[in-house]
Amino acid sequence: MYLSDLKVGQKAIVLQASISLPVKLYEMGCMPGEEIELNYAAPFSGPMCFLVQGTSISMRKELAELVPITDPNIKSLQNDR
Amino acid sequence: MIDKKAIRVALVGRPNTGKSSLFNRLTGLRQKVGNYPGVTMEKTMGLSKWAPGVLAEIIDLPGIYSLHASSVDEQVVMDSLLNDDVGEKIDVVIGLADGTNLKTCLFVFTQIIDLGIPAVLAITMTDQMERRGMELQVSDLSESLGVPISLINARSGQGIDQLRADVLKATSSSKGPFFQPGGLHLQWVNQVDQDHDFNSVYKSWLYGLSSTVYSDLINNTGRTPARVRADEAIKRYRVVNDWLRQFFYTDPGKDRRWTARLDKWIVNPIWGSVILFGLLFIIFQALFYGSETPMNFIDDQFAHLSNFLSGILPSSFLSHLITNGIIPGISGVLIFIPQIALLFGFIALLEESGYMARVVFIMDRFMRPFGLSGKSVVPMVSGTACAIPAIMSTRNMENSRERWLAIAVTPLITCAARLPVYALLISLVIPDQSFFGMSLRGLVLFGLYLIGFVTALLGSALLTKIMPTAKVNPFLLEMPSYRLPQLKNVAHAILNRTKSFVSEAGKIILAISVVLWFFASFGPGKAPDFNQDYVAIPIEDSYVGKMGKAIEPVMKPLGFDWKVSIAVLSSFVAREVFVGTMATLYSVDDNEKSSIREQMAKQKNPVTGEPYFNLAVGVSLLLFYAFAMQCMSTYAVVARETRSHKFAAIQFLILGILAYGAAFLAYSALA
Repeated sequence: MYLSDLKVGQKAIVLQASISLPVKLYEMGCMPGEEIELNYAAPFSGPMCFLVQGTSISMRKELAELVPITDPNIKSLQNDR
Repeated sequence: MIDKKAIRVALVGRPNTGKSSLFNRLTGLRQKVGNYPGVTMEKTMGLSKWAPGVLAEIIDLPGIYSLHASSVDEQVVMDSLLNDDVGEKIDVVIGLADGTNLKTCLFVFTQIIDLGIPAVLAITMTDQMERRGMELQVSDLSESLGVPISLINARSGQGIDQLRADVLKATSSSKGPFFQPGGLHLQWVNQVDQDHDFNSVYKSWLYGLSSTVYSDLINNTGRTPARVRADEAIKRYRVVNDWLRQFFYTDPGKDRRWTARLDKWIVNPIWGSVILFGLLFIIFQALFYGSETPMNFIDDQFAHLSNFLSGILPSSFLSHLITNGIIPGISGVLIFIPQIALLFGFIALLEESGYMARVVFIMDRFMRPFGLSGKSVVPMVSGTACAIPAIMSTRNMENSRERWLAIAVTPLITCAARLPVYALLISLVIPDQSFFGMSLRGLVLFGLYLIGFVTALLGSALLTKIMPTAKVNPFLLEMPSYRLPQLKNVAHAILNRTKSFVSEAGKIILAISVVLWFFASFGPGKAPDFNQDYVAIPIEDSYVGKMGKAIEPVMKPLGFDWKVSIAVLSSFVAREVFVGTMATLYSVDDNEKSSIREQMAKQKNPVTGEPYFNLAVGVSLLLFYAFAMQCMSTYAVVARETRSHKFAAIQFLILGILAYGAAFLAYSALA
């Protein structure tokens, strides 16, 4: 699963990527082990906005397709409140 | 100049942490503002007296996400903090942290501490923290960091005295370093330290990772510089998360509620576009209609003044210089104020409220086919005020190629300086009719704006096509929480930018007006005799007349006579000079004082006897001004920002050819 697979409101945990991602992503707080949520996405494969570590970060879908995450469905079963 | 004995205090922090508000608060009205709007966006400095004998020079640096530079903006901050030269060295850093976004702000602050420069932490947005149910054990965090923390509210001034006291007592004895380069990196870090005398592990680390000189040494460790930086970020966040777990409580339900609610509408695919275009429509309407009355007022007042003065002053050279050189020159500058102030005000509002980031988000998809991202919308929107701050605003783009594209096409956007030229020419050659209930003149003006945007986008698409790239555009953007704009900050932005426009552009325009007056009033073989009464000479015999005649053959295919040619030539310094030049040329020609428009309407074509400014000449001139890069300051900024005079020269040349070609085609078709 990748960030681009999330639906609005779904949460997952960021995983370690095997390829090199832009450092800025890490420095803005989007890094392995952190919980991430899709806030909203623009239509026609436009940019997506995620909430991670209390910051809203927008990125293009093509970058979101490179960031691996845990399966949001399994995660939500575990954390069912 | 700034006193050498003043302590130098730099404000460093993430964007949207309230740095400008704090800067305004710390410096009061005594701030020393940069030269041209935006040109010193890199660093704004202000001198402030904090106590008897204690002067502080406050340096406002651009917002950063990390001390490692990913964009030109961040490079400026890194360079300032690494600089140890006398008079440049920073004595104390005030780290800023948005209290509602502590984690990422503290990440940057741990980097600042590790530099070894005395630092204090100022936590802003404290009122918001309370409202959102956030609590911070300040003294515990302060102890873990080893630096004083003050909670401030720049709006009310609360906590500012505490912050000043903290700064004056600041030492470099923090609990850091919070990150230490691992053993395998020590070799290259030592090498950097030896080469550059930083005497600081972290400074050497930062410098080494940013410079290509050491990339081989770093790669020898088996990790790329990007990987090394990512590792550092992970380690630092671990430290910060540890602190926050112990000292910080938040009620997640209350957090970000308002922003999420507003975003439902603002970034909605349909409503978002409606809101965006509605806002742009309102802004442009306000720009045209809101500035019309004050502009006419200024114009009339100067015409009156000129009339009045020429009535009472003796007919000497000096009074002729005042009424025909200086006054038209000054009025040519002041007439811009209403428009520039309005536009800068709107842009400041969009930025202050957090809406600009949403514009970038919404527009990204639309800009992609042209090789640009949503971030290019910012220079394009601010380009409607002035290309100079617009080109400066590209500094935060991490993608150098996109930045390059944006700089290349921004001068095509219709800037405020073109507006008076357009307004004058449209009122001369376009009849005051209505067209499907809309003013025809308004439509033509709108069309000229559209031409600017469309050519900018097409130009960018063309450049992308000629020089394709495989590199992925990272396009990372923080979406700040919405905030009520502080009117004080907006007023500051309007005041400062307008002030620097008047003093900088004003100087050039005034100087040119006076020089032009001289060349228009005297000619070869007619040495000025200042003791005698002023006697007008026919303008054809003046220096200006000779120059105009000399270039007339080149300009003739565009329908420009020698007077217009002179105005176009002098506009290469700055477009707005056109109106002033026309005013100077025609008032030298004619002793009756009437408005410049009436003067121009009276001009006859010597061959046909019809009015000279007909549709063909008008449209040709309009198109020439739409495309040509007639602005010395823009040229200078492009050369500086791209660090390439070649880039600026080629851009100047291409836009010049485009302008000449378009004007030529229009004139041939219409004449």
